[in-house]
Amino acid sequence: MRRWVAFLAVSAVVAGPAIAEQTGAKKRRPLPPEFGRVIINNASEKAGLAPVSFDHWFHRAKYTCRLCHVDIGFAMKAGATGIKAADNQAGFYCGACHNGKLVVDKRKVFESCGKALIGENRAGCLRCHSVGKNVTPMVDFKTFTKDLPVGRFGNGVDWEKAEETGLVKPVDFLEGVSIPRKSFTAQKDFALSPKLQGMPDIIFSHQKHTVWNGCELCHPEIFVGVKKGATKYSMVEIFDGKYCGACHVTVAFPLIDCGRCHARPVQ
Amino acid sequence: MAVPLRIAVLVVLLAPVASRGMEVVPAHRYGLVQFGNRAAAAKVPPVSFDHWSHRARFTCRLCHVDVGFAMTAGQTGISASTNRSGYHCGACHNGKTVLGGKPVFASCSAGVDVDESPSCRRCHEKRDPEKARRDYEALAEKFPRKGQARAVDWEEAEAKGLVRPIDFVEGVSIRRAPLKMDKEISIESSGWMTDVLFSHRKHSVWNGCEVCHPEIYPSTKSGTKKTSMIGISSGESCGVCHTKVAFPIADCERCHVKPVR
Amino acid sequence: MRRGRSWLLAAVLGAGAAFTVGAAQAVLAQGPAAATQDWKKEFEEICAKTQDAMALPMDELKGLVSRCDKLKPRIEKLDESQRKVYSRRLQVCRDLYQFVIESREKG
Repeated sequence: MRRWVAFLAVSAVVAGPAIAEQTGAKKRRPLPPEFGRVIINNASEKAGLAPVSFDHWFHRAKYTCRLCHVDIGFAMKAGATGIKAADNQAGFYCGACHNGKLVVDKRKVFESCGKALIGENRAGCLRCHSVGKNVTPMVDFKTFTKDLPVGRFGNGVDWEKAEETGLVKPVDFLEGVSIPRKSFTAQKDFALSPKLQGMPDIIFSHQKHTVWNGCELCHPEIFVGVKKGATKYSMVEIFDGKYCGACHVTVAFPLIDCGRCHARPVQ
Repeated sequence: MAVPLRIAVLVVLLAPVASRGMEVVPAHRYGLVQFGNRAAAAKVPPVSFDHWSHRARFTCRLCHVDVGFAMTAGQTGISASTNRSGYHCGACHNGKTVLGGKPVFASCSAGVDVDESPSCRRCHEKRDPEKARRDYEALAEKFPRKGQARAVDWEEAEAKGLVRPIDFVEGVSIRRAPLKMDKEISIESSGWMTDVLFSHRKHSVWNGCEVCHPEIYPSTKSGTKKTSMIGISSGESCGVCHTKVAFPIADCERCHVKPVR
Repeated sequence: MRRGRSWLLAAVLGAGAAFTVGAAQAVLAQGPAAATQDWKKEFEEICAKTQDAMALPMDELKGLVSRCDKLKPRIEKLDESQRKVYSRRLQVCRDLYQFVIESREKG
């Protein structure tokens, strides 16, 4: 009996990798309108609603990352915030703007989880609680982005250039939520040398990042190191969502665009 | 002589392992991908895509990085709607992009009824194997042939300038400064086979960097990715391409080139 | 006459008492609202300087961190939604000041 067991175990070990799925090949890439999509399902299904499908592109064209992730307080991982309808109704999280009163671009921002909206079949909820439902977005991605500078990968939009040239003017202040501030102490840009010889140095620009993020978004949660040069970032960790990968995997321009960071010509 | 049961079971279990990747696929069928099985809902036959007609004209990088096709059949999520929106096949097959002197025929452009729209049949058609073989031979006769299947040696064809694969299509690609990586990597072979010499230059001509890094090879540190022929034959590492599209691993001497130590 | 004076005294004392009670009530009624304004005001004052954290002197940074620590228990007592949002915001703000302090001490 034991010999059989041992034999089968050895066969499984040998045959296992052969039967295993193909690994490492290119997976499905999210289409430009899908890049930055977050599925939120803290309480939706428990309440009998489809999970929320939130696409970043529309919001990031109008607001800074800082406004939502620092001032309003959204976490940067799906499900980590713990949003409830009650929070929205009380004017927090989505409800900070989606309250039926705030006017943006001459229109009232629709109410989220509004008690009046929750009709018989909760049709009003479908606008956000749309996973698996055939809901046409109110704003068409192609129309919205057609005049924006073309970007490689991600949303296919170069958001950095769009902001620099004033084609998008992300708002950084929400009345009643944001703290009025006067000044901003700019931080320096610096170069990072990659371990792999031959790869161009990375030019990290604080300015390009702080225009969207302020300081608190990255420090210290994403970049803990207080001593410059002490933390060694590896690409494997970054691809896994650490450090730069906290944003540059799912929402900001993806890491597959190596030349965007590895930009300094090799000396 | 009675074969002991255990041996028989072992042979049955391991037979697919031993032979996978080593079978000789006819050249005209090598690189054939079938997808579009969801098209059955639209009463349209699935697509039979032959790699050879595209790779004679374009780099692997253009389709798998710039356009963004996945490298497993059925994974990309191509649909008539994505094609019509200018993604996937529609990135070039849009009736407007000019390649080879003329506009590329539009994919999924016409109405829904495939019988009324002849252009659907160009891709959504039950494959005629004899016609496929003839078409392949017509293309392949100009190129050097190699390997057990006498398939086109694309590497030599490119080196000799017989094919000049396009790596940039306006509206699809965005230019970046090229990253130079010409290192040759020696991979020690366990067992009796000669060592492998991996040439970055030969691979980056077709793949750039992004086809392999990071999905297939996340770390650039030498020696971190350990694999075996069994792993490769099941589609790991080199096997991502060299079992289905690039020259098959059955042609051992193409990689095991280093002289015996 | 004496009875009149004691009535007058009673009336004055009574009015005084009523006034005091009334005033106390008014202050107490204003109490929670004022306290609400207080913690939020405190939060805004503390966290308005995060953008200039790198330029602030050490003493000020340490003072801000300790003010955050003092404010934290007050925020923990708020209702669920407010508590969720503001305890996170306070944490992020405090951590940034602490980060700057540590960068200077160890960097």
